Amino acid sequence: ESHTQYERVGADVTMKCGSMDWDAAVTWTANGTDIDESHLNGSYLILKNVDLSQSGQYSCYEGSSWHLKYQTNLRVGMVVPSATGLLCRGEGKGFYCSWHLPTPTYMPNSFNISVIHGTKDMVCEKDAVPKNRCHIRYLQLFSTVKYKVTLTVTNPLGKNFTTLTFDEFAIVKPDPPESVVAKPVPNNPRRLEVSWQNPSSWPDPESFPLKFFLRYRPLILDQWQHVELSDGTSHTITDAYAGKEYIIQVAAKDNDIGTWSDWSVAVHATPWTEEPKHLTTEAQITETTSASTSSFMAPPTTKICDKGAVVGSGAMAVCWTAGLVVAAYSVLFI
Amino acid sequence: MAAAESPSAALRRRDLCSRGIRLAGKMRADVVDLLDTYVEQQGLDASASVAAVEGVPLAAVEHWDEQTGTQRLLENLAAYRAFRALLAQMLEEQREQLGEADAGLGRALAAVLLQVSAFAYHLEELLRLESRGIPGEEGDEEEEDGPPPPPRLSLFEQKLRGLGVLRELAQWAVRSVRDLRQLAKPSPATGAAPGLAESP
Repeated sequence: ESHTQYERVGADVTMKCGSMDWDAAVTWTANGTDIDESHLNGSYLILKNVDLSQSGQYSCYEGSSWHLKYQTNLRVGMVVPSATGLLCRGEGKGFYCSWHLPTPTYMPNSFNISVIHGTKDMVCEKDAVPKNRCHIRYLQLFSTVKYKVTLTVTNPLGKNFTTLTFDEFAIVKPDPPESVVAKPVPNNPRRLEVSWQNPSSWPDPESFPLKFFLRYRPLILDQWQHVELSDGTSHTITDAYAGKEYIIQVAAKDNDIGTWSDWSVAVHATPWTEEPKHLTTEAQITETTSASTSSFMAPPTTKICDKGAVVGSGAMAVCWTAGLVVAAYSVLFI
Repeated sequence: MAAAESPSAALRRRDLCSRGIRLAGKMRADVVDLLDTYVEQQGLDASASVAAVEGVPLAAVEHWDEQTGTQRLLENLAAYRAFRALLAQMLEEQREQLGEADAGLGRALAAVLLQVSAFAYHLEELLRLESRGIPGEEGDEEEEDGPPPPPRLSLFEQKLRGLGVLRELAQWAVRSVRDLRQLAKPSPATGAAPGLAESP
């Protein structure tokens, strides 16, 4: 008959050879290897200050007949840690709680979550995936009565509790937006089109709308640009530096309460640039010249100078402020 | 009978709802600030649990998403009328207790009271748009054997009740924003607001 025995790291373990008397002649093995007699006290096996490496199968055989008298699977591990990373996050109609063990215990652990609202017990439904998460739907919305969530983690060495107490509004924090995509806009060297989706863990954006915060910067600069958007799941950046790779992230928040989500996964994108042309016939050069100068002109809709501040003439006419912008571009292209 | 809304009524309702949402948003921000001031000046513990006090409308509601538009408006109106009276009473108690010593708190209370009154009126406008009669306020009717006036609370009880009032008001302000958003949604089938149309 095989057993499993759970012991704490550092403990002293005594194993009896089944029903054999103390003075019986026996041989002990660990994972098939004989154990030296110095570890025996009569027929008892004594393991002092056990460590993780001593986990394994221990067997005891009667001296002369080599009959197997006792077998046990020794599992050395740790008690449940007191910190469990218990976290609860509201999503409008209810909340999720998740947890994890910061250090392994090397033995099987089970988790139990209890939720009390005032005097009422509630059930947090465990998710199939991920395993360490449960979801509870509020019976009442807008209550000032606090919720008390208790996580009990149990393993063969004992149990530990973690408790969180909060009210409905205090824990509202969405997950970051999902599926963030940034694309260049054809024929627009300063634009990037960004779109994203509401986090899938936010079940009812119609009744509990989210607002968003977008941040972006070219990889070569440290300073972020920020845009706050009260609705919609897309935005067009119109002031990107031509030809520079950008990094873009989005965060979400309930429109009315709670805190901002973490930043989404970063996406990279570079605005549209014209294909570089090779120097060939004169006819083609002329075409190229007029096409390439247009990309250095300020966009027609942007009014950035007065008539009197124009420098140059014809196709290369730019005004003072645009001239400074062009100079800045030139520096970046060096 | 299910009444289809005229386009102008639908526009007016959406307009009233958006303005109401902004009013409630500002009101909530002011109530939250007032709560901080109140807790500090009254020497209370911010995390103290306050038992539900009689007369303070609780924002907590079950099956919130199943409520009709009419229910939302009526419950909101009843709540803000109650808050109007409660805040007026708090203001009076405040003046009795401290006179000029707490002018800042008094002013903040008065400002919130103004916004609560304005919001109640705004709700009445929405109800009028629905062509619904506006319920009379309690205390308007004369009763022969009215309930006796509640016993006067001790100073400490007054402070705790004040905390309860402001906390519930802060919750209500969020609920009102959410309610108005539901109200502003066009109904997919008839074009009327969900819940405003009544079944035969």
